[in-house]
Amino acid sequence: MKLSAYFRKNLTLIIVLAVLSGLFIAAANGMESKDFVITLLRGLSVGSLTFLVASGFSLIFGLLDVLNLAHGTLFMIGAYIGWTVYVRPDTLVDLLTPLALLLSGFMLGDVWIALSNRILFGKRLKRILPWVGIFISALILFSVLKQYPIAIWKVANYAQSPVSISYLASQGQNILMPPVDMAGFSPLLGFAGLIAGSLLLAFCLAVMKAGKQAATICITWRNFSGFVVLLLAGILFFVFNNALTDFLANLNSNWLFLVAVLVAVASGIGLGALMETTLIRPLYIRPIYQLMLTLGLSAIGIEVVRAIWGRPEFTMPRPELFAGTGEGCPATSLADWWQYHCSTMLVMDGRIRVFNEILIPVIGIIVLVAVWMLLQRSRLGMVIRAGVQDREMVEALGINVRRVFTLVFALGVGLAALGGVLAAPSIGLSNLMGESFLLNALIALAIGGLTSYPGAALGSLLVGLLQQFIIKYGQIGIPIPFMDVIFKPSPPIVPASTILLMVIILLILPNGLLGKKE
Amino acid sequence: MANHKPFFALKPDRGMLIALLVFILLPFVIGLFDGASPAQVWMNGSGQSKFIQGLAIEIFILALYALSYDLIFGFTGLLSFGHSMFFAVGAYLTGILLKNFGFSLAATFGMIFVASILQALLFGMVLPRVKGITFALVTLGMASVFHVLVLSTELGKFTGSDVGLQGVVVPDFISPATERLRLYFITLTILVVVFMLYKRFVNSTTGRVCTAIRENEGRALMLGYNTFYFKLAALMLSSLTAALAGMMHSIYQPIVSPNVAGLGFTVTALLIILIGGVGTLNGAIIGAVAYRLLDYGLRRYIGESASFINGAVYVLIVLFLPFGIVGTWRMKSLQINQGWKRLLGMFTNSQDKSDGA
Repeated sequence: MKLSAYFRKNLTLIIVLAVLSGLFIAAANGMESKDFVITLLRGLSVGSLTFLVASGFSLIFGLLDVLNLAHGTLFMIGAYIGWTVYVRPDTLVDLLTPLALLLSGFMLGDVWIALSNRILFGKRLKRILPWVGIFISALILFSVLKQYPIAIWKVANYAQSPVSISYLASQGQNILMPPVDMAGFSPLLGFAGLIAGSLLLAFCLAVMKAGKQAATICITWRNFSGFVVLLLAGILFFVFNNALTDFLANLNSNWLFLVAVLVAVASGIGLGALMETTLIRPLYIRPIYQLMLTLGLSAIGIEVVRAIWGRPEFTMPRPELFAGTGEGCPATSLADWWQYHCSTMLVMDGRIRVFNEILIPVIGIIVLVAVWMLLQRSRLGMVIRAGVQDREMVEALGINVRRVFTLVFALGVGLAALGGVLAAPSIGLSNLMGESFLLNALIALAIGGLTSYPGAALGSLLVGLLQQFIIKYGQIGIPIPFMDVIFKPSPPIVPASTILLMVIILLILPNGLLGKKE
Repeated sequence: MANHKPFFALKPDRGMLIALLVFILLPFVIGLFDGASPAQVWMNGSGQSKFIQGLAIEIFILALYALSYDLIFGFTGLLSFGHSMFFAVGAYLTGILLKNFGFSLAATFGMIFVASILQALLFGMVLPRVKGITFALVTLGMASVFHVLVLSTELGKFTGSDVGLQGVVVPDFISPATERLRLYFITLTILVVVFMLYKRFVNSTTGRVCTAIRENEGRALMLGYNTFYFKLAALMLSSLTAALAGMMHSIYQPIVSPNVAGLGFTVTALLIILIGGVGTLNGAIIGAVAYRLLDYGLRRYIGESASFINGAVYVLIVLFLPFGIVGTWRMKSLQINQGWKRLLGMFTNSQDKSDGA
């Protein structure tokens, strides 16, 4: 009885799923089992990467109602940051000190707010003072950072551009740039400038906000702990710069890759939190403007990436565990692969790349399960699910939704950055990778249901499989029944096919396959 | 109807009249700066004036396109990500009909009229089923399919695939090379006519219902309006205007790049009406002027990284000027007027100092 009611309620969905699986079986019948397995695994790989972008996107859209069109750009930035850590650890180590010192001032935010509430500025002064301060601090920071020694590649010089560095690294020659010294002034002055600029900037921003936050803040030693920790960290990073660089450079490439993944995810989380608190938060009252803001941010992000890493495409070398080509390769089983560290593996006589077609889907499934557990089994997940259902109600129950918003935004961007750093060794880095994956993710979400987490997984899987099967059929051709012609879809059909699937599914089920009905 | 505005009124339309006058005199004044007499400009002599005319024609085309987007997004509240398809269909159809089929200009216009109604119907077909962001995605899908078709090698004979459509022979009397001044005035006339038509439409009962749909569609339905037909009407008018803009684009530009069919070009329209002010007709025109001049200036003086500044301008406008130039002007006009009065009062030392406070 219950089952029949379920069938009647979801008849359209069941028919659509049946048609899709029928198509899938037809596609599987049309090719040899070798081709089928390879295409299936490739589809899983693309689907996993798409899922990493789409899941964060759908969480953000579901809870915050923000259509984050910069998500693709953040995916790309994750990839580029991962590449930097993996290929040029010296640049990362050089960057740590100024970053820590820059952030240190902002750790005192509460102190500054309390202080600026105590000091009574005149009305005019209060309006002018922050801008003057911001200008001065920007001037200080700019002049210090311009001189600050960072061993970095040069986009204009081909021999030192990311393209040739990548090429050398893939040949096994990872040449670090010689360490650079402070040009023109002593390190102490540089540090003082950085700290002073950061403190002044944080103070001015606090003065700007001062009137708006009426709450009195109790100052204890805790408020200073973050500042002190970052200050010490910055100085320690500077003192042990060479040792840390050597340590990272001599690290086994598998561990270095893990470090790269962690740094990329961490910086994605940081970027997401920064973006939410500074730019998105003022715009919750004007939803359509958030969309335009994220569009603008994505344009800026692409240009920044172009300015720092250059326009040409390059690939990140794979870690040693997935790069072996010598004796015993291609591997015939997973144990074999573990023994010889092969880059390729034979599955049903078809050759697949271990990194792309085994590791990425595995990580995709792990993330799927982990986020699912987080959503279903933790208190935070409960708040998130409740917020997706009814945000006002959750607020009314006295839960600090603002903090949850920031967390979810940071988590979503972190997932995108994870996708990016995994995509870097498999499909390579380019300025346009973000846009194509954002489009994939949008299509996947539209197919699966915009705010549904399982829908994101199902949609990504469908998009990945469809794309790979169309590409494969473009090579072998589709025999059309009752005709002698073999139809070979040309490459542009690939994006069009997924888009057509999206349009058809949205016309039949306007909320997507698993989206909730309104 | 009580709230019908007159078709034309001197005082409220003062600004637009001045702008029209400026645009009529612009080629000749620029010519004078360059040392060319108005007669030379009239005879289409080459020089600075001709270049400025070209820039202005681009601005007019962009303004037409932005107006059409403003009608469906700013007034009717339909967020469409496939608007560039409206434009691109006009541009490509003009080029293909003139080049491959040897149509006359009038016949081409007729075909474009039919095509734009058809594509509005295509977009309208999905209207009852999908709303809000899903409508945006479906329209994005349709436009992307068109973009893929334009880029595909199978149709390369007609569309020139990723190189772009080129080699369109434009009838002599509006050729952008030899008769640019005439093309300038024709484009300007089209813009003025379309602008007045839009003004009439927005202030008509139909337009009022469209605004009501933007504000609260459920309430409009409750009041007994079949909102579908109103949205379809707005879509048709918008599609027709955008296709017309595309036609002028195809006539003026030597190459129609496939980029005009992509998502980026829809975003351009969004940016323009955001700069000018969403839901204001003069905003679309002012936005087009600001956008094109900014883009041109940045590309000329900064070069490659111009789109960085573009993005930054985008973000800054969203954060600090959310209602665009015209919207902010309308909100602040009272304060601005008071400020002027106070400033004048300081100089003339008049008695009405008190009204400033």
